[in-house]
Amino acid sequence: MPELAFPRAPRPLSGRARHTAHLTGCLAAALLLAAAGLSRAAPPAAADAAQPAATAPQPTPVQPPGGLDPQQLEQFKKAAEAAGGAVAGAMPAPASPAEGAADTRGLDQQIQGLKKDVVDLNRDLFILEEELLFPANTQVAVFLSVDVGDFFALDSVQLKIDQKEVINYLYTAREVEALLKGGVQRLYIGNLKVGQHELVAFFSGKGPSERAYKRGASIHFEKGVGAKYLELKINDRQRKLQPEFEIKDWD
Amino acid sequence: MTGRPFIRALFLAAVLALLAPRAADARRHDPEKLPETRIHDLHYGDVLFLYFQNDEAHDFEALTRLLAYEHWQRMPHDGDDAQLLAGGLYLSLGVHNEAGAIFGRLLTDDVPSGVRNKAWFYLAQIWYARGYLDRADAALRKVNGRMSPDLEAQKELLFGNVLMHEGRFDEAIQLLSGWRGGAVWSAYARFNLGVALVRVKRLSDAEPFLTAVGTLTANTPELTALRDRANLALGFAFLQADQPAKARTALARVRLNGPYSNKALLGTGWASAALGDYQSALTPWMELRSRNVLDSAVQESYLAVPYAFGKLNANAQAAEYYESALSSFGAENLQLDQAIARIEHGDMLHEVLAREVSTDASPLAPHGWFRDVKRLPDAPESPYLYSILAGHDFQEGVKNYRDLVYMSGTLDRWGDSMVAFQDMIDTRERAYAEELPRTDALLASGALQQLQQRHLDLENELRTIEAQHDVAALGTDTERDQWARVQRVEAALAGAPNTPETAEARARLALVKGVLYFRLNDAYGARLWQEHRGLKDLGLALSEAQSRWIRVERARKNVPVNTGEFAQRVAALRQRMDALQVRLAATEEQQSAYLAQLAVHELEQQKDRLAAYEVQARFALATMYDRAANARAAHARPAAPVQQGAEGAAAESAGPAPPDAVPQPSPEPPR
Amino acid sequence: MGPDFALHAVAGANVRLSEHRGEVVVLSFWSSRCNPCRAQLAALNRSLATYRSAGLAIYGIGVDDDPGKSLEYARSLPVGFVLLLDPAKQVSRSYQVDNLPMTVLIDRGGTVRHVLRDYSAASDGVYVQQLRTLLNE
Repeated sequence: MPELAFPRAPRPLSGRARHTAHLTGCLAAALLLAAAGLSRAAPPAAADAAQPAATAPQPTPVQPPGGLDPQQLEQFKKAAEAAGGAVAGAMPAPASPAEGAADTRGLDQQIQGLKKDVVDLNRDLFILEEELLFPANTQVAVFLSVDVGDFFALDSVQLKIDQKEVINYLYTAREVEALLKGGVQRLYIGNLKVGQHELVAFFSGKGPSERAYKRGASIHFEKGVGAKYLELKINDRQRKLQPEFEIKDWD
Repeated sequence: MTGRPFIRALFLAAVLALLAPRAADARRHDPEKLPETRIHDLHYGDVLFLYFQNDEAHDFEALTRLLAYEHWQRMPHDGDDAQLLAGGLYLSLGVHNEAGAIFGRLLTDDVPSGVRNKAWFYLAQIWYARGYLDRADAALRKVNGRMSPDLEAQKELLFGNVLMHEGRFDEAIQLLSGWRGGAVWSAYARFNLGVALVRVKRLSDAEPFLTAVGTLTANTPELTALRDRANLALGFAFLQADQPAKARTALARVRLNGPYSNKALLGTGWASAALGDYQSALTPWMELRSRNVLDSAVQESYLAVPYAFGKLNANAQAAEYYESALSSFGAENLQLDQAIARIEHGDMLHEVLAREVSTDASPLAPHGWFRDVKRLPDAPESPYLYSILAGHDFQEGVKNYRDLVYMSGTLDRWGDSMVAFQDMIDTRERAYAEELPRTDALLASGALQQLQQRHLDLENELRTIEAQHDVAALGTDTERDQWARVQRVEAALAGAPNTPETAEARARLALVKGVLYFRLNDAYGARLWQEHRGLKDLGLALSEAQSRWIRVERARKNVPVNTGEFAQRVAALRQRMDALQVRLAATEEQQSAYLAQLAVHELEQQKDRLAAYEVQARFALATMYDRAANARAAHARPAAPVQQGAEGAAAESAGPAPPDAVPQPSPEPPR
Repeated sequence: MGPDFALHAVAGANVRLSEHRGEVVVLSFWSSRCNPCRAQLAALNRSLATYRSAGLAIYGIGVDDDPGKSLEYARSLPVGFVLLLDPAKQVSRSYQVDNLPMTVLIDRGGTVRHVLRDYSAASDGVYVQQLRTLLNE
């Protein structure tokens, strides 16, 4: 009998499914490559280049301000006495009241303006640096605060993120004082990819009667989109005379 | 005032007072410890951590971060506190314009008066120091209610000084008369009050106050100096008021070796002279004359001594001393000229202040920063400059400028970073340039959506198959071919007539179909399950692909913002840095010029004084020689009419009158 | 700019370099196996007495791997300045210490101005001269 021509049956479902799966795999790979390429050009991950706030570049200061400090002023006065000159004393005595004042003020205004501009510029540079090195979507910052009743001298704090040590900070008496007064140190700032991470922290120090303490704490946290802030809190609320560590996730 | 450290310490306390204590937690605390603070925002805490470390470097960093965190709005709960702290930081860095603006805005009545008053007081201090008397006046009037006794006393004194410098002596007198401060400041208050009274010519009222200060037991160098000043002021006031005996008493209390001793010696001589006792006058004047001729009092003694001799008719000696004076003045004048020339040609700021030579070769880099003035170089003009250097204008100017240089030093540090940033941005740009077209193409291809659609279709198909129990659809290729053939044959046979051949064919077909169907049906269950699983896996793979897709989309979206914008910002910031460096260099020049101007002015005043003395000396000498000549000649020639000299001095009766000998007493601000 | 650091002291509070801006800071690197270091540290000790009031701060930095050895050595050193421990050698690396004793002079602004390697009577003279210049600034 004659072969009737019927249209071919459509390709089997499973074949198409397989094919689709194959294509999906290719797409996934392509996306992975794209993501990698984009992140290559993005800021470094926690593993590298993490700049702890502690070693944020320090400005180059000079001696404490004060012009002639009292000690040196005395030296000067003695010298002035020797020269027989009368010491004017610490009060504005412009040579001729009107113009002297105008000159000082003019120059002072100029210097004021410059100082303000330097402050503004410094602010903008700080902003640029942070946005460039630690953009919000990868930024993670760890803060440290201390709330202890009796005297506790903090000696050092270590941080590990995802098993890698990122900072080991030694505290001086002055810094401890600043913390006790209520300051909150931005101990560390770095970059992390979106996802789950682990922070492990240790602190060590001396309590009253020279007793040494070492405590640790850890936290698993989710890094989403947007900067992540964690606060290490040293306090002795639970047990007096015994400082403990608490980690707060500021979501 | 011990200046900045003092100011910031007190402001610090004010800031802490502002931050409300933590809600009572019933915890044992060291009462000496500062109150606990409640920080709402982490980043504000960071600023405080820097601020609490108490030095200029940290203050500057604190202000920088404060402003940056405000920009990023990271301190939503501490807005006003942060602003106030910014004001305080600006103040401690000497940027009083900003501080004033901020305080003016923020210090409303709901801010505790303690903080408000302190803020205005500190502002007033710095404004007074910089010569903005009107602002200082206004700020002081904003202080409402009493501060701590110590601060209150300082405030009153400051106000008194401001008023006096504004020439409002009566108001100053009123203020200081009602003053009730502690013992530490009372000497200053009494001194200033005495001075104000003298200035409005109420000497009898001034006397008790100045005498009180002039006879106090001084146990610090500052108070001892103040005591001397009081006696000096009193003494000269009496001289001017023609009360030489009282003048002498007061002046006798001035230390023989102190900053005011020269003037006191001079005055004492004049007091004796006024009493007609020229012999006694010679004692202090001869002592004075032996001292350093740079001092104006000493210079005057060069004339006063021969004047006294003249009065004692020791004319030969008188003449000798006048000659000596002239030659000394001449030499001194020469020195002054040289000093002036050196200053005008030199770089005052650079020579007088010890400088660190910068290793930065850039011509625009400031030449280093200025440390405290420790010693003057061994230049001829140095001795003349001591008084200027110890003077207020100079000190304030240098301090102000030095703050600026220090702050600008931070720009150098940034300079290196900028290069690094630029590199980073360039790298990123290159990377993006390679990646972006590919990524964009991928995202535009809609590949994901297509695959998702396919998945959907496949799912629907499977559902239909399942609903219809379409076993054939899940067969292998072979089976489906067979089934198709079966169906073709079936269809063909359907239309065929009923013959025994067709019947046989139909029977055979039924058999084949049955077997085939049986096989298909048997395998159907497993195959269905497998298809479901396959689709499920596909679903999972697609879901993951979707997440990645979204991430890539997001990263891609950030890209234009990140690179192009950053490059622009870096460029703009570098421009600003360069511009600032230029302005800095210009200001350095101006500051230097201004200081030189101060110095030269001072020296020229000295020259003028010398010139005046010289004229007097010459005149006196001429008169003496004239008289001598006349006396030698046969005589009874009337004495030449007395001529008024440059300072209105008559050679015989008055001699060189003390031109500046009565220093206008100036109010003494507390240290 | 001398790289900032913070180290434990042999006795007493931790020390951070940047907190001493405004002073002239002398850092002297030593180890327990370095004999000339003794003489260097003793010489520095002498200068401390003279110039401390002018704003001189001296820190000896021990770089032994084993801090115990540093401690032992330190105990035998009668010096009046603070000794710091750098067993991890981070600080000595950042200051590029290639020789012991090595002494670094840092001015009041925090900039490294002189580096002295080895110790001799002559180098001591140079040190004092350089020191005085820095103190006078």
